[in-house]
Amino acid sequence: MKGLQWTLAVVGLFLGIMLALQFKITSEINRTEQVERTEVLATQLTQLKEVRDLLQEQVNSLRTDFDRASAGPGDGELKEGLDKARILAGVTELTGPGVEVTLNDSNVTLKPGENPNLYVLHDEDILHVLNELKAAGAEAISMNEQRLLANTEVRCTGPTIVLNRDKRLAPPYIITAIGDPHTLESAIKMKGGVAETLQFWGIQVGVKKMNQVTVPAYSGGIKFEYAQAAG
Amino acid sequence: MNRSIYISILAVFLMFGMLLSFQFRSNGSNGGGVPTERYHELTVEKLKVETDIAQLEEESNDLAVKIADAGRGRTTAAEAMEKELDKIQLRAGLIAVTGPGVEIVVKNDSSAQYGSGFYNIRDENLLLLVNDLRGAGAEAISINGQRILATSEVRQAGNHINVNLVKISPPYNIKAIGNPGQLKSSLEIKDGLVEILAANGVLVEVRQLEQVSVPAYSGGLGFDYAKHVQKG
Repeated sequence: MKGLQWTLAVVGLFLGIMLALQFKITSEINRTEQVERTEVLATQLTQLKEVRDLLQEQVNSLRTDFDRASAGPGDGELKEGLDKARILAGVTELTGPGVEVTLNDSNVTLKPGENPNLYVLHDEDILHVLNELKAAGAEAISMNEQRLLANTEVRCTGPTIVLNRDKRLAPPYIITAIGDPHTLESAIKMKGGVAETLQFWGIQVGVKKMNQVTVPAYSGGIKFEYAQAAG
Repeated sequence: MNRSIYISILAVFLMFGMLLSFQFRSNGSNGGGVPTERYHELTVEKLKVETDIAQLEEESNDLAVKIADAGRGRTTAAEAMEKELDKIQLRAGLIAVTGPGVEIVVKNDSSAQYGSGFYNIRDENLLLLVNDLRGAGAEAISINGQRILATSEVRQAGNHINVNLVKISPPYNIKAIGNPGQLKSSLEIKDGLVEILAANGVLVEVRQLEQVSVPAYSGGLGFDYAKHVQKG
């Protein structure tokens, strides 16, 4: 009988050691090499974005300085041209009347066997809404505080949407557009229009007319790598 | 006596079972595909931000030079202003540009089994094509001679499509400047737009070119609502 007790003691000790090892391994699982590399990269990216934002502020304030330095009599035409071009190029913060369009995934409870993909916002849906706003004369548009430029793409990656390559947005998506509030609102809400189609799938669409909205400047470089001025 | 042995043995086996299952779980979660994809996405983002930083530094130096010029008398000030205007207009799409890129022709497939015109090319087809090109890094795009600006619509109006409030009709000719290979492959990848449209009787031909010319926007520019936020 004593032998049995000894055996149990040895087994117990053995188990204890295994348990300890196991715990150590489980806590290390979360930090495999891949995960660690990703974490390092994410930290670098955050730092780089801070540098980028600082530089962006500097450029913005230099633009204001330039305007002040070049202000003066004459050349009103040049100045006006520059103002208009800046609106289109998206390099300045803008304000004016407009609308705020809010889009969110469906709140419909799925029946078994239904395709959940039908009830989620897609890049196509957002492209449609943006297109309607542009057709209704929107002068400047931003989505979740990211300015839309001529070459801004709207891309689904999993549950998020990516704009301008590095701007990752999560729902709800708030689209801000400057223009005639009434025209913009009715472009979205019109019968058989984009809001009606989206609401069919339970996607939540809200349009608010606003006396004043603000559309931020684009943050990032504005140089072309391939395109050059012709002639 | 017998009973306590059974209980101990039961306890020991329970522990073993738990350990085994932990072990399997930890093996399973190693080396999954998800982290790699995240890593890939982050790398793409990092490249973009690094380009941004380099370009913003350049922009900042450029502006500093122009500010100095602006303080150096009227002629230099006017010159500086003109240069600044050119730079911003280039980005806004108000200046014609050339560069490497692709030329795309979108038309109904006359040899399709349903016959030509079975499927009318709609605004959304063109919108998605343009969006794919932007995603592949297109810097300047035009459709049938209409430059795509930040404010340009591509919209069905009855039987035709409007771009910049100008009626355009098929065949649609899209020009895009950027990395030709990237632009082409973004459309021609498996399950990509070219394949999807082909299945619907729409032919999309993508040609890579060393030089593509994209025209400037030629319409009027009126901004009645947007005002610059005054700083300082």
